[in-house]
Amino acid sequence: MPEALLIEPDVQFIRNVVRAGGGDLKKCYQCATCSVVCTLSPDDAPFPRRQMVRAQWGLKDQLMADPAIWLCHNCGDCTTHCPRGAKPGQVFGALRSEAITHFAFPAFLGAWLARPAGVAALLALGAVVFGLLALLGPMASPHRAAGEQAFEFANLYPLWLIETFFFSLSALILIAFLGSLTRFVRALRASGAQGPILAGLVPAAVDIMTHTRFSTCRQARARYIGHLATFWGFLGLATVSTVVGFATMFGVMHTPLAQTNVLKILGNLSGAAAVVGAVWLLADRLNDPVKRAASTSFDWFFLWTLTGVIATGVIIQFLRLAQSIPWMYVCYFVHLVLIFALFVSAPYTKFAHLAYRTVAMAASSKT
Amino acid sequence: MANAPGVYICSGCSIGDALDTGKLAKVATSACQVPRCEVHPFLCSPQGVSLIRKDLAEGSIDGVVIAACSPRVKTEAFAFDPRIVVDRVNIREHVAWCQKPQDEDTQMMAEDYLRMGIIKVQKSEPLEPVHDEISKKLLVVGGGVTGMTAAIEAADAAYDVVLVEKSPRLGGFVATLKKRFPTAPPYTELTTDGTAALVQAVTYHPRIQVLTSARILETSGQPGMFDVTVAGESGEITTRVGAIVLATGWKPYDATRLGHLGYGMSPDVITNVELEQMVARGPIVRPSDGRAVASVLFVQCAGSRDKNHLAYCSSVCCMASLKHAAYIHEQNPDAAVYVIYKDMRTPGQYERFYRAAQDHPLNFLTKGEVAGVQKAADGRLAVSVTDTLLNEPIVIKVDLVVLATGMVPNAADGTAIRAVKDARATLARAEATEPQKVDARKKIEELAQHEGTEILNLTYRQGPDLPAFRYGFPDSHFVCFPYETRRTGIYAAGPVRAPMDAAHAQEDATGAALKAIQSVELAARGAAVHPRAGDLSFPDFFLQRCTQCKRCTEECPFGTLDEDAKGTPQLNAYRCRRCGVCMGACPERIISFKNYSVEIIASMIKAIEVPEEDEEKPRVLVFMCENDAYPALDVAGLNRVRYDPSVRVIPLRCLGSLNIVWIADALAGGIDGILLVGCKYGDDYQCHFMQGSELANRRLDNVKETLQRLQLESDRIQLTQLAINEYGKLPALIDGFMARVRELGPNPYKGL
Repeated sequence: MPEALLIEPDVQFIRNVVRAGGGDLKKCYQCATCSVVCTLSPDDAPFPRRQMVRAQWGLKDQLMADPAIWLCHNCGDCTTHCPRGAKPGQVFGALRSEAITHFAFPAFLGAWLARPAGVAALLALGAVVFGLLALLGPMASPHRAAGEQAFEFANLYPLWLIETFFFSLSALILIAFLGSLTRFVRALRASGAQGPILAGLVPAAVDIMTHTRFSTCRQARARYIGHLATFWGFLGLATVSTVVGFATMFGVMHTPLAQTNVLKILGNLSGAAAVVGAVWLLADRLNDPVKRAASTSFDWFFLWTLTGVIATGVIIQFLRLAQSIPWMYVCYFVHLVLIFALFVSAPYTKFAHLAYRTVAMAASSKT
Repeated sequence: MANAPGVYICSGCSIGDALDTGKLAKVATSACQVPRCEVHPFLCSPQGVSLIRKDLAEGSIDGVVIAACSPRVKTEAFAFDPRIVVDRVNIREHVAWCQKPQDEDTQMMAEDYLRMGIIKVQKSEPLEPVHDEISKKLLVVGGGVTGMTAAIEAADAAYDVVLVEKSPRLGGFVATLKKRFPTAPPYTELTTDGTAALVQAVTYHPRIQVLTSARILETSGQPGMFDVTVAGESGEITTRVGAIVLATGWKPYDATRLGHLGYGMSPDVITNVELEQMVARGPIVRPSDGRAVASVLFVQCAGSRDKNHLAYCSSVCCMASLKHAAYIHEQNPDAAVYVIYKDMRTPGQYERFYRAAQDHPLNFLTKGEVAGVQKAADGRLAVSVTDTLLNEPIVIKVDLVVLATGMVPNAADGTAIRAVKDARATLARAEATEPQKVDARKKIEELAQHEGTEILNLTYRQGPDLPAFRYGFPDSHFVCFPYETRRTGIYAAGPVRAPMDAAHAQEDATGAALKAIQSVELAARGAAVHPRAGDLSFPDFFLQRCTQCKRCTEECPFGTLDEDAKGTPQLNAYRCRRCGVCMGACPERIISFKNYSVEIIASMIKAIEVPEEDEEKPRVLVFMCENDAYPALDVAGLNRVRYDPSVRVIPLRCLGSLNIVWIADALAGGIDGILLVGCKYGDDYQCHFMQGSELANRRLDNVKETLQRLQLESDRIQLTQLAINEYGKLPALIDGFMARVRELGPNPYKGL
């Protein structure tokens, strides 16, 4: 007989899960309808039934180290079929947000950004930072010759400043991600998930790129399309930005790019896909009263920031073409503040699901 | 004796198409020599019935034989004065509807049935209704919710009630509760309405006499005339009542037997009843050190649904524990409450309370088996649980463990008490043999704990209290006859009958009060109660020939018969249910009813025309229980199901009234086989008289030995158990038995 588990329910954890969308958690009476209807649940370690009882009993450590909570794509099949209305899908959403906060590196940032006040503070910080940075830009400089050249964003913030700032910030974010994921992997290993993480990353990434697992969710066809568009649009934008950023930094390329430039076309297409996808996802969540009620600041912040970044990105391009002063500068400022917020919060908010899910899928893959 | 019965044959309902009713009438007039015989196309019509009434009024006939539909239908149309002997010959459901029309065998069947009906009427005597002075006052034993509700219900229906309570106050267990289970929508809130209003209503009701601190010294007599002696606060009083409602409630299962769950190991392991008592006194604390509790674990089914303890579910413990969880959270919202269950059972609307309790973040519920309770180093209790929903054995540390123990009926087992008394008498007898004494000592050791538990102190020969059924509950069949006990006029209600909560017990009390009222009203008319409600016949004992064998006094399922010093049966007619079990038991055949006797049935058997051996027409007699098997055969007829036409059915009041002399008579008369169809017996018995079919089966074992001595195959007699809804099985049962009888060949005694 295995050694008995000493039960010490983490009451705060239960309350957090309940507050973060798992309000019906305690209704579960363990019939396992959810595990049966779930198309993603593996036969040898089915979910979400077991995770439901562990959550009810406040067994936080077991749940945080359980890759199963990341194998769920929140399609809602289980919630639709739950005879008791326990909404396992939403409980899983809450568990994921708990996990992101739990493994956050540095931990205080995770705890801070898990609260709406922290999010507001982050946006305010972004505004202050970019307000101050604008003081260093050419427009603020007394040496600036007006009307010398077309209105460009570089007039507000010189390119070197933006690039240096965001590349440095990205490096910090990467460290934060690596720190968080290291904690996560350590917990996964301790709980017995023995999948080869490095080797498993490639198949996991392929699955994520193709949305193969997500596409099998019956209840989530609409969200699947929106998510796919957002994912690829965002990936395209990230790639174009990084390439252009490096290229300009090393002087290989000069912005603004011509509208016929391949990268420009790719960027515009990605932007269009991302806009459509993000609006689609937002509309899906807003139109469904059940989903709307179950969404927390954790969901909304990520979704609105992402949509805001993409939308302001598209708008400022048009404003620049129209040479609309001062709106193009105002929107550019907002765009940068939102990107800042998205970057800084990435390891601590829903954005991080991309990284956690990839690792969890790798860890639970078969050797 | 009805020497001159009129015979009325109905040719309606396709009877006339299947049978030659003219030939049938000739059987009555020529062979049976009845003075009057009519064939009518619609006998149950006013014209048809008036034909019979006219003949009766003219005095040309003194009995009536109606050959038409089943006696179970058209009872109002064919209702006559009870002083007229009437028999209904079932040639519709049992002949015309289930046999080949216009066939020789079908006609023979109808003719046999008609001859049997005529002889039955000729041998029966008219019933004479009895009239005694019947008390309609009711005695209610127990002043808890059940007893008080029964008293109020009966008193409001204008029946006087005496309510006897052993403690100094009314209210029972429920009065000690801080809160009760929810009683109104949304069923999620506990209620605080105790029993005060009910106690007041009972106390001041002009028809209710309350005797507290009282106990019953003796209950003698019979329904309608029970004389009850009660010792109470104001001395002894004797009062006459007509019926009794037993509402003595329950007691908790003895937790000292639950050592394996930690009871007795630590003062911090208590029972649910002890928790309720603690709540009544003050806060919920650890008994060991008096500190308020921060974590409590409930063990459900503590000693319940366990063959070593109580094999049954008490149906209230799950709700009680959920209620106690609410008490705990009321006191300390941050306390952790664990519930370890086999299955949560919160019947009916209580499921809503369960759901609400589940939603509490600090209620932790899991299916599981408590493997052990130990004292932990930190002073708390460590409870090990296996087979949990968490898929691993767990240990939970808590301040307090509550064992949710079940309900044990607060009843006395009259049969057991009588057995102990008999055993003591055996020991005291000088002429008792050594093996008898060993048996008696064993019996005393086994049953001695029953002595001193008496409640009703009946003066019945079969014991001073109600006989216990399964698990010690004195309830009879809970589906067919709720509240019935094995003592006529005494009805059990509430947890003494079956485990239940207060709301259910109140419904129960109402039902039992109604049963008690029916009992006194029927007694006032000299009529039987359920299941032969309204029957006016009584058994007669021809005592000159009685050999004091005591079979009747021992086998009567209702304790009807007492004995004098010599062992001669003494009838208490109002205790009788008219099942005829005594008639079946009597080897001297001295017990008869005016319309149901050994002789009447024997004559009916003789009335069957048994064809000669070379005609290859076997004859099989089927004794059918009137309560389940006979209606099932009616339904088979209704469904036009065919079966072998060689059978002749005789309905019996109960298979327990089967007298084995009939078997001998039938076989001697050339009958080839005998089939007995009775109710199911055993633990889940369906016999309307508790043990009739079982008794018949026991008697049959003796008959089979006799058969073998006579070189007759024992297969010629078969007893089958059949439920009322199993009509579909009947044709195959009959045809199968017929096939076996044909295989055995004709009865060698045929024609001798």
